[in-house]
Amino acid sequence: MEANSSRELEARNYLEKHRIMELLTYLASALLFFRPEKPREYLISILERLRIAKVSGVAFPFFMDNSNIAAMFQMLDSSNKGSISFIQYKEALKTLGLCTADEVLKDDGLGITCEKFMREVNKRTQEIWSAF
Amino acid sequence: MDATSAPHRIPPEMPQYGEANHVFELMQNMLEQLLIQQPKDPVPFMIEHLQRDNDYVPKIVILGPPSSGKTTIAMWLGKHLNSNLLSVESLIAKEYSSLAADARTHYQKFQTLPDMLLVRLVQERLREEDCVRRGWILDGIPETREQALMIQTLGVFPRHVIVLSAPDTVLIERNLGKRIDPQTGEIYHTTFDWPPESEIQNRLIVPAGISEGETARRLLEYHRNIVRILPSYPKIVKVITADQPCVDVFCQALTYVQTIHRSNAPFTPRVLLCGPVGSGKSLQAALLAQKYGLVNVCCGQLLKEAMADKSKYGEMIRPFFEKETAVPDYIIMKVLRQRLDQQDCLERGWVLHGFPRDRDQACLMDSMGYKPNRVFFLNVPFDSIIERLTLRRTDPVTGERSHLMYKPPPTMEIQARLLQSPKDSEEQIKLRMELFYRNSAELQEFYGQAITLNGDQDPYTVFEYIESGITNPLPKKVP
Repeated sequence: MEANSSRELEARNYLEKHRIMELLTYLASALLFFRPEKPREYLISILERLRIAKVSGVAFPFFMDNSNIAAMFQMLDSSNKGSISFIQYKEALKTLGLCTADEVLKDDGLGITCEKFMREVNKRTQEIWSAF
Repeated sequence: MDATSAPHRIPPEMPQYGEANHVFELMQNMLEQLLIQQPKDPVPFMIEHLQRDNDYVPKIVILGPPSSGKTTIAMWLGKHLNSNLLSVESLIAKEYSSLAADARTHYQKFQTLPDMLLVRLVQERLREEDCVRRGWILDGIPETREQALMIQTLGVFPRHVIVLSAPDTVLIERNLGKRIDPQTGEIYHTTFDWPPESEIQNRLIVPAGISEGETARRLLEYHRNIVRILPSYPKIVKVITADQPCVDVFCQALTYVQTIHRSNAPFTPRVLLCGPVGSGKSLQAALLAQKYGLVNVCCGQLLKEAMADKSKYGEMIRPFFEKETAVPDYIIMKVLRQRLDQQDCLERGWVLHGFPRDRDQACLMDSMGYKPNRVFFLNVPFDSIIERLTLRRTDPVTGERSHLMYKPPPTMEIQARLLQSPKDSEEQIKLRMELFYRNSAELQEFYGQAITLNGDQDPYTVFEYIESGITNPLPKKVP
């Protein structure tokens, strides 16, 4: 069983290092959202764009752009206070696939404002894309 | 209320698209290949994998005792599926390979191959372009458990494993009649499979090692090994008895190879039950609803409920019901839409019966976006329907329904006062049946992937057939 678990560890590390799960989540979401006639060609086109973006350093079009993030924040902040609670913030990040369930985020007790939310989402998305 | 913890309302087009295009299996296959090969650059690798589009090429292993017909079946499958055949002989005979040359020298000396060498030969062959594109069929490999494990560690795994089995005495006798055509390599038999052309007959030779003692020895070896190979392929093995005509074995093998194994893809059943009156649709729908939590949508019931609720659709329907004419399609569709769009139908799936009854209704439903993913046609012969329906009785005092043959009333007194509904008279039933059969051919054509079942059995048998039709993926037909 030693050999099995070390290969399993290897495989897990590989997934982590290249952020495969995030990439696959993104691909699957794009497929289900845009529902192209030819799924394989569509996936190939996304991956090609990604490859070119990595090589040429051009910013890659994210799944959610700033207006979507702002809209999401407004949905969470139903009473228009201008900030959302820490729990809501963590849940939102999990829904977007940008943080894992057991990651510890610091709670500064001040509530999260829209700019902070946007910054955090953008920062994490950038982190993920730079790993490809 | 926290917006992110409320139940998410997923538009139904998404799961429908996912099912129709097998998105889950697509992603799963890609992830499998990524984990096995672990390329340094995942993105170009994924592009190449998607372009190759070889998720469903045949990957078959055929195992069996000597002279069970493995090679024959493997060759036939290879020709039919347009795939590549690999056996120990073909691997050794390969040119342009240093591994094969080593193997040849070893084989000449010892008459066997070391496991590692054989497995590496297999790996080399499977990496070639034609195997990647058209799939492969392994004939008689792996021979031992060690080989099976080694092949698995290299990331090669079959999708279907066929094991031929027959009693030893049959096999020993069969082996004595084996003849080989030296030119084509095809195997013939003096009794079962004699070639018609005399020129082939003349050049057949008797292969070495078919004496009884030799066969018995090889059988012993086989039995020792096969028991330990099978646990490596737990869910994909099918045992076919080789003690029947070759064609039958081939038929069974081909059907098996064309089935797709069930995957973990999310699946909300949207079942449509079609059949003449009295075929058991309502009963099966109720059983399905009870066991799987699907929503039982009976069209007739829905319309009656609308009338009883005195909703606006109910008022539209009432005049048609009173005059006993058919309700127009667009009204039925409106009522149906209202029901099928509700949250419980979207989440749990539905089983629909009583609609559509002809092609136009089916087209209408399809254009509104309600596409069932399993369609069943229940066939029941006329006499059975008559028997089932004309013996129905209702007790006017208690309201209980019984059947004179299947669920007789408890006492003679009750039986004396039972009444029959006018709907259940023979002429009425005949009329309704003919109405159904007039439209059924078109309906079957419309729902191309429908499954036809024999409804003339007891309800639980029919239910099991329906269950297996729903839980197993629809077979992919080889063009």
